[in-house]
Amino acid sequence: MLLRKVSAFFIRDFLEELSYPLTFFWRTGSIFFRLVAFYFLGQLIGEAASTPLSPYGGGYFPFVMLGLALASFQDVALTSISRNINYGMYSGTLEAMLVTPTSLSTIVFSSVLYQFFSALLESFLYIGFSVWVFKISLGQANLPATAVLLVLALLAHLPLGIMSAGFLLVFKRGDPITLMLGHFSVLLGGVYFPTQVFPEWLRQVSLFIPFTHALEGLRQAVLNGWGLTQLGTQILILGAFAVVLLPLSLATFAWAVRQAKRLGTLSQY
Amino acid sequence: MASTPAVAVTGLSKYFPQLELRHLLRGRRPPGVWALRQVSFELWPGENLCILGPNGSGKTTLIKLIATLLAPTQGRIRVQGLDTLAAPLAVKRHLGFITCNEESFYGRLTGWQNLAFFAKLHNLNPKSAVPPVARCLKLEPYLDRRFFSFSTGIKRRFDIARGLLHQPDILMLDEPTTNLDPLATQEVRQLLAQLRDQGKTIIMVTHRLEEVAKMAGRLAIMKEGCLQEVQLEAGQSLEDLYRQVVLGETHAAA
Repeated sequence: MLLRKVSAFFIRDFLEELSYPLTFFWRTGSIFFRLVAFYFLGQLIGEAASTPLSPYGGGYFPFVMLGLALASFQDVALTSISRNINYGMYSGTLEAMLVTPTSLSTIVFSSVLYQFFSALLESFLYIGFSVWVFKISLGQANLPATAVLLVLALLAHLPLGIMSAGFLLVFKRGDPITLMLGHFSVLLGGVYFPTQVFPEWLRQVSLFIPFTHALEGLRQAVLNGWGLTQLGTQILILGAFAVVLLPLSLATFAWAVRQAKRLGTLSQY
Repeated sequence: MASTPAVAVTGLSKYFPQLELRHLLRGRRPPGVWALRQVSFELWPGENLCILGPNGSGKTTLIKLIATLLAPTQGRIRVQGLDTLAAPLAVKRHLGFITCNEESFYGRLTGWQNLAFFAKLHNLNPKSAVPPVARCLKLEPYLDRRFFSFSTGIKRRFDIARGLLHQPDILMLDEPTTNLDPLATQEVRQLLAQLRDQGKTIIMVTHRLEEVAKMAGRLAIMKEGCLQEVQLEAGQSLEDLYRQVVLGETHAAA
């Protein structure tokens, strides 16, 4: 029963995307051109950045490519739930779904499945172009460890998206804290440069962001082939973020739904 | 007559607090409005109730409460004996809430894809649930076309079709003929008459007095959150009755 509902959301979003046939090509093209820019930037930087990048194999291009791939994943986790709720409230589709025997949590979580699938596909495109067009070698990557890190990264970031959605239900505007966190994560988490280049105090701040640990772990798993044992610290930290934040976010969201029904803001925008 | 009312509303009140930061910071109880005050009625299977009333009188709030989209401040609602707070998902299986918001569909999807999506949310197989409803509402020629290409009248028919997918016993409609041209209005009214003749329990909120006359069921008028069930007296027009309840005018004075 639940599978039928979940698949309905996935098919709906897939069909909507399919109705814009050029979207896929635009997205693929934009990923490719972004990689081209960073490839030549990497050529320009060359050996100059080899010391701070030495823990990641020394090359700038593979380093930044993984950062970009994970950043798109993080963006989906942080913003997709509230974006979907916002659209549903604006168009009236949320109310239409809520009068069916489908719980709000099923609606919310099923609505982001396709976006995660799409972000995963985008990550594969980043990696695929890098390997086949820009000829970087990822033969050393530890795939099971990469998969575990991606799942943990998702579980550590999704609660922030859930809390943002709860905020939106009650206050009608996306949570600025989560939106800011998204930008800070990209800056402080080390998408474009290793966190080792920061002043010590800023590096300490970056350790409080789950994205920093997810990205560090992902780079070590893909670029250095680290296994689960070597990634123990990152796995433990991401796990702790997930264990603490997930129940907290679900409780916050349940509270927000009750408030929205009390205040009558469930279908307002 | 059935032993359980289709809808039983008892002492229902709804208060909408206005959540503002300054009240929270000062620890004050936020101000707000009472949208419903002690509303009670019972509707038996096969009966239909038309609710009239000026804007802001609480009509939409009432049906949204029955549809479990809002939580009551006081009182309780039972649908086929089920409490809306205790068993909201079970309640929704009995209800067809026709939102009358023709934009509440996915414009890039076809008519079929839209109805199939909502059928699945009712745990139905679209292949068996969609065709009978599409046939009944004469929507078959539109199933393969994208939703955004439809006129408002066709979109409204899709809206009604969506509310009927799971064959609910109770239908709730919020101003079903708003924004429709005279022909589309006539079509919707014929459909509602058909559904009434099929024995559906119908609650309809409307501003149009002629719609009430067509439905020929029970009539209630809402004013400032209070619901008053009324009956036409011999020789009295619906407009006179409405003015009498809402404005307090007598026929002679009018």
